[in-house]
Amino acid sequence: MNDFSVEAIGLTKYFGDFKAVDNVSLTVPTGSIYGVLGPNGAGKTTSLRMTLGIIDPDEGTSRVFGERPQAVRHRIGYLPEERGLYPGMKAREAIAFMGALRGLDWSEGRRRAATFMTELGLERVIDEKIRKMSKGMAQMIQLIGSIVHAPDLIVLDEPFSGLDPVNQERLEMLVRRERDRGATILFSTHVMAHAERLCDRLAIIARSQRRFEGTVDDARGLLPMQVRYTPRADADATAIAALLPAGAEPRGDSWFFPIEDADVEPLLARITGSGLGVAGLSITRPALHDAFVHIVRQVDASFDADAGTDAVEEALT
Amino acid sequence: MTPFLKNMLVIARRDFLAIVATPTFLLFLLAPLFMVGMGLAGGMGASQLADSARGAGRIVAVVGAGDVEALRAADARLRASVARRVPVLEVRIASPATADPVAIAREKGSDTYAVLSGPLATPRIVEREADSNAGHYLALLADDVLRSKAAGPLPAVAPKFEALSSGGTSIALQQSLGFGAVFIIFLLTLLLAGQTVSSLAEEKGNKVIEILAAAVPLESVFLGKLLGFLGVAVLFIAFWLVMAIAGGLIAALQIDPAALASVQSASKATAALTAAPATGWPFFLGIGFVYFILSFLLLGAVFLGVGAQAATVREIQMLSLPITIFQVGMFSLSTAAASAPGSTLSTVAQIFPFSSPLAMAARAATDDSKAVHLLALGWQAIWVALVIFLSVRLFRAGVLSGGSSWKFWRRGKRTAALATDATAAIIDRHS
Repeated sequence: MNDFSVEAIGLTKYFGDFKAVDNVSLTVPTGSIYGVLGPNGAGKTTSLRMTLGIIDPDEGTSRVFGERPQAVRHRIGYLPEERGLYPGMKAREAIAFMGALRGLDWSEGRRRAATFMTELGLERVIDEKIRKMSKGMAQMIQLIGSIVHAPDLIVLDEPFSGLDPVNQERLEMLVRRERDRGATILFSTHVMAHAERLCDRLAIIARSQRRFEGTVDDARGLLPMQVRYTPRADADATAIAALLPAGAEPRGDSWFFPIEDADVEPLLARITGSGLGVAGLSITRPALHDAFVHIVRQVDASFDADAGTDAVEEALT
Repeated sequence: MTPFLKNMLVIARRDFLAIVATPTFLLFLLAPLFMVGMGLAGGMGASQLADSARGAGRIVAVVGAGDVEALRAADARLRASVARRVPVLEVRIASPATADPVAIAREKGSDTYAVLSGPLATPRIVEREADSNAGHYLALLADDVLRSKAAGPLPAVAPKFEALSSGGTSIALQQSLGFGAVFIIFLLTLLLAGQTVSSLAEEKGNKVIEILAAAVPLESVFLGKLLGFLGVAVLFIAFWLVMAIAGGLIAALQIDPAALASVQSASKATAALTAAPATGWPFFLGIGFVYFILSFLLLGAVFLGVGAQAATVREIQMLSLPITIFQVGMFSLSTAAASAPGSTLSTVAQIFPFSSPLAMAARAATDDSKAVHLLALGWQAIWVALVIFLSVRLFRAGVLSGGSSWKFWRRGKRTAALATDATAAIIDRHS
């Protein structure tokens, strides 16, 4: 068995003169849940499409299970960002059709469709036409259609968008269950909460390039922990400022500042020994959301700086 | 079965059922009835107009009282031998009160094609159009009357007519069969192949196309669609074939055998009924059906390729128009070829891929060689594959922005841009 289900190396794609994806690599360990995160228009969908061989990269290569993605289509399940179903088809038929496209027998597809739909509480719409369903319900049908043939790799492009919280919860459950079955899950999102709960590893794409790759903890580790310290009410502000690291900001009756892991214990020792008292103290790790925003802002800032330099150069020439 | 074929059949099955299992398909199935109805209504109107026009037409002969009977007898004799329909002859006795021939020709209430007046040896003939058949016919009448007068009474000729029991089919009738084949294949293709384009537009509209493109090779999507629609076309043809056979049987049971026999005794009708294409009916019908399939696949593939480039229904209509015009052009070329078998034009029509199915079907009506059809089928199949190949490349480039077909060009453009930048940098460094 391959250690990596997906090995996409140096993917680059131009649309006209616009470089939509620039040298993006994705290596997805087999049996993991892998998230591709990024702001809107970052190049997530194009990267996934190139990874699956739906569109050809201008540069770079993609291998799925060690082969060309087109050669292992039947082992892949794919939920595109733009949802699409035949409105005149009944739910069960739509799922069986999607299974049949991947080589699943029609009758087996219908049987599995009924099982999946029952498990997900959708049994009442089994023989309902798609056009009569709500958007969220149709999306669940399409999701089932993309996994009905029990694929080894499931690629979901923004799977949570458009779903209500209950269905989001169901989808998370389904993703975990498929991973437990042995499938590899690769999904894109810009909602950090899902990624934080689900992903074993993730990549962050911003401005067409991959800016981060690692675990959720690795991402959170990019930022220092945040301390909120509330001294005794009568404590002297000058003494507090002298005690805390430079950059600590007073807000209301508390002080806020970042801290590195290694500095936590010395800080606690200083506070307890200072006599300023402790009315409240919290040390929190930044969320994935914070790490994501930090990375994206850094990239944006460097782009703005480059744009400024270009403007100066243009003015000079 | 290979995965490719399996995928193709899945697509074909979906498309076939999506069309056939809807109430609107019934309307589509009955569309020829509307066409025939409209055609009949139009035809009846035109026929009535033509009949009324024919009924009002006449030729006029102004002759002396002594020549009236001889003129009428000559008219009866000659009229039977003249193939073209001759307007009714109106005979007027010449007298001082008789109007001038020009005035007669301009009388209202009827079309007067020619007026004869004066002595029969040197008649004055006023024609509606110069050198007209009607004028020549009046001259012939005058000539016949004079000759009869000069020769005196002759015994009536008593000819014995004999018809060939099996004279074979005339070239003209075989050409008519060829034209019929061209027309039917053109009409069916025009009616059915254009539908493929709407199917692809629907899939682009409801975003299913990306699922298909991710799951199966695009070639199998295109071929599956063509196969699905071909199934619809075959069902359509089978339905009308069954209806025609059933209608024929019912009509045969209803028609009086004596009436049928009298119809068959007419020489033209007999020829029409016994007309046979050069290759024989079974081969002609079989190969005609195969040529229809290839014509359908060729045009359907073109429509799919074009439909793949369009994003909206309006764009599809705009893009479909040139193809339809092109198809009408192919029809014209093929009908011209059908009327001139063995000519350079017919050879061109038989070789040019988009007119080849039509022209070859026409050839099967007039030429008894059969092996050439095998060659034509292979040639047309190559073009079907080529058109599908190009359509898929265009689709990937245009819709999924795969860019494979333009990749070399793009790379070339980028390389050129990079080279320009590098040159500029070198120049900067040295300056």
